[in-house]
Amino acid sequence: MGTPDRQQRLAALRDAIADIERKPALAEARPLLQADGAGFPLPAGGLLQEVFTDERRHAGAALGFALGQARSLLTPSRPAVIYLQLAHEAQEMGLPYGPGLLSFGFDPAALVLVRVANMTELLWAAEEAIACRAVAAVVADIAGQHKLLDFTASRRLGLRSASAGASMLLLRYGTGREASAAHLRWRITPALSATRRFDALAPGAPRWQAQLEKGILDNQQTHWLLGWTHHGFIIRDAANRALFPAADAALSGPVPAPLAHRRPATA
Amino acid sequence: MLYERIKGGLRLAAMNPQAAQAGLRLGQNLADARAMLPEMTAREIDRPLLTAAFADFADWHSNASPLVAVLGDVSAFGDLVLDITGVAHLFGGEHAMLRTLLARLRALGYSVAGAIAPTIGAAWAVSHFARSQVVADTDLAQVLDALPVGALRLTPEQIAGLTQMGLTTLAPLRPRERKPLQARFGLSLLTRLDQAYGMLEERLTPRLPLAERYAERRFPDPIGLLDDVLMTTRDLAIQLGLRLEAEGLGAQAFHLFLYRVDHKVMTLSVNSARPSRDPDHIAKLFSHRAERLAGEYDAGFGIDMIRLAVSSVDKLDGTQLGAFATPDGTDDLAQLQDRMSSRLGAMAVLRTQFVATHIPERAARLVPAMVHAAGPKTEPGPDRVRPLRLLPVPEPIAINAEVPDGLPASMIWRRISYRITRASGPERLGAEWWRSGQRLQLVPPEPPRPAKPGETPRPPPHVPRLERFNPSAVTRDYYIAEDAMGRRFWIFREGLYHPDASPVWYLHGLFA
Repeated sequence: MGTPDRQQRLAALRDAIADIERKPALAEARPLLQADGAGFPLPAGGLLQEVFTDERRHAGAALGFALGQARSLLTPSRPAVIYLQLAHEAQEMGLPYGPGLLSFGFDPAALVLVRVANMTELLWAAEEAIACRAVAAVVADIAGQHKLLDFTASRRLGLRSASAGASMLLLRYGTGREASAAHLRWRITPALSATRRFDALAPGAPRWQAQLEKGILDNQQTHWLLGWTHHGFIIRDAANRALFPAADAALSGPVPAPLAHRRPATA
Repeated sequence: MLYERIKGGLRLAAMNPQAAQAGLRLGQNLADARAMLPEMTAREIDRPLLTAAFADFADWHSNASPLVAVLGDVSAFGDLVLDITGVAHLFGGEHAMLRTLLARLRALGYSVAGAIAPTIGAAWAVSHFARSQVVADTDLAQVLDALPVGALRLTPEQIAGLTQMGLTTLAPLRPRERKPLQARFGLSLLTRLDQAYGMLEERLTPRLPLAERYAERRFPDPIGLLDDVLMTTRDLAIQLGLRLEAEGLGAQAFHLFLYRVDHKVMTLSVNSARPSRDPDHIAKLFSHRAERLAGEYDAGFGIDMIRLAVSSVDKLDGTQLGAFATPDGTDDLAQLQDRMSSRLGAMAVLRTQFVATHIPERAARLVPAMVHAAGPKTEPGPDRVRPLRLLPVPEPIAINAEVPDGLPASMIWRRISYRITRASGPERLGAEWWRSGQRLQLVPPEPPRPAKPGETPRPPPHVPRLERFNPSAVTRDYYIAEDAMGRRFWIFREGLYHPDASPVWYLHGLFA
């Protein structure tokens, strides 16, 4: 068959291939930004991520998840996040709203909105923005299905973001999945929000069900129930709940005051 | 032969020399002219076309002198005026310049008359009423004196009046008493007279903004390819950048003028968010801008001159690269915004600006990133819960509430019904009465007293009819509603509950 030396080399190569096939996403990616065991493992910059939600009415949740990730990538030398949207989808999907960003905890001054006329311009703007050294992340909000956004386009975006170090987050809608070169693919579903202190009837801080459909993060976990605080994501998984007893608001609290005498408080 | 409709009649507006020899004159009735010269061809004059043609001509002539204007008020079609101060030597003197300019227009088949004179009025007079020539400062009065009074850019009535007085040339007009002339013909006669003789300054309003700093390149053979144009632009940007650097300046607006051989000028302008003189950046902006107009670019028969001019010049000191400086990326970001603005349009690249108001859609304004200035912080307090996405136009929804003024129980939005499990609100936002077109009437007028017997009833005081402002009509109550799946919406009710009418509900935003 061959010399033992040859067989050894073949085996080593097979191992390498298997390794790459097992986690193709991280073959060219960097380590995690935050993997201290307690928090949600946030991917580092330089990754092409697809954030899928099943329906367009979940656009708020998807944007929240993407901006939550983008916020952790902001540094003094990378002070900007670029948001791309097709101009004709603004009414259906809504535009990022400054005061809303503030109350979410994202600095509106860091967000540059770019409204493009068609998919060609969107891809051009995305590539330009990724290549810029001052951009931490590019969030592209694409409601429809587009022929131009194929494997080649995603491969280009992926390579560019890997080489430039800025993350690219593609917000996609629907249940269909096409071949893409994204390093990570998320499926985001809004979850029932956290309870607000002193008011069991009111919606509280946002929560997401995040499912990692493609790619591997550090501990091979693929499902999370995520909560949101002003410090970032926290895991609200049933298994991990014991780790964060203090973060949950007390439920057996006082009786809610009449609605008219209440002003909305920060979640 | 061209005619025009004036006061209901068809009158001659322009003619060729043959017609003039046959005895026709301008302003003549078209029917009379036809009778005198049956074989002539007459067409109606197309004023907008002529105006556009003259504008093109004027732009194109800015390759001879940067200050070009069209005088449209006196002559039938307009006259081209060039300020050639400090330009003539480029053509080898004034005589040569006049010859060159006239010859290149005649070569195109136009009949042209031109003159170079110390004043605009004199140049007009000489070009219209004498042969084409250069009038020097010293013999200005002598040349003008021999010309008829019509050479002063006067109205037909003024010319007729002067002719009646026996004043046919300018020579006897000049020494006459000015007061009676003004009384009879108005101030404009004296103004025109003084302007022609140089007693009164006349300014021309140039068609193109005057650019003090520009670089240009002429081509012996016309070029056509867009790539060549862009490469030349880069070269010009390098030239211009060196000059700006020597002066310690940078510019925010860059204009590229492409002079086509067929007398058209194409203009491309790009802007930069902060003053710049970086040739690479400028060239990139133009190439992005050019990509956007790929279909409209038409070099015609070629381009024989390119000029790159800058405006909005501002001080820009040289930057020093520090050994310990940390790059903060603002320059990169500004350049990225410039590139995107030049390709996608300035209104496509936006930033949020806060406005001190509590009306949600007005509280945040999207302004072009290029003009965005970090003004005073008018950010709303973070204690207000606002949605992450706001719909530009609120969408009407159908709401069921258990009790009026209670929390909504279910809603129908985009033909899908949602069961609302948790909600908070209302957050009541009143209308901004001070912005309303209606005035708030604070004090109702006194009712007129009944007249006492023996006293004439006084008329009631005049009260302007003002609609009473109705604050409840536009008050909104905002609710945060969450459905059973965890979707969170920002909905509001416009108006208050009223026995007669039910208020309308809208969905305004989506929460994370």
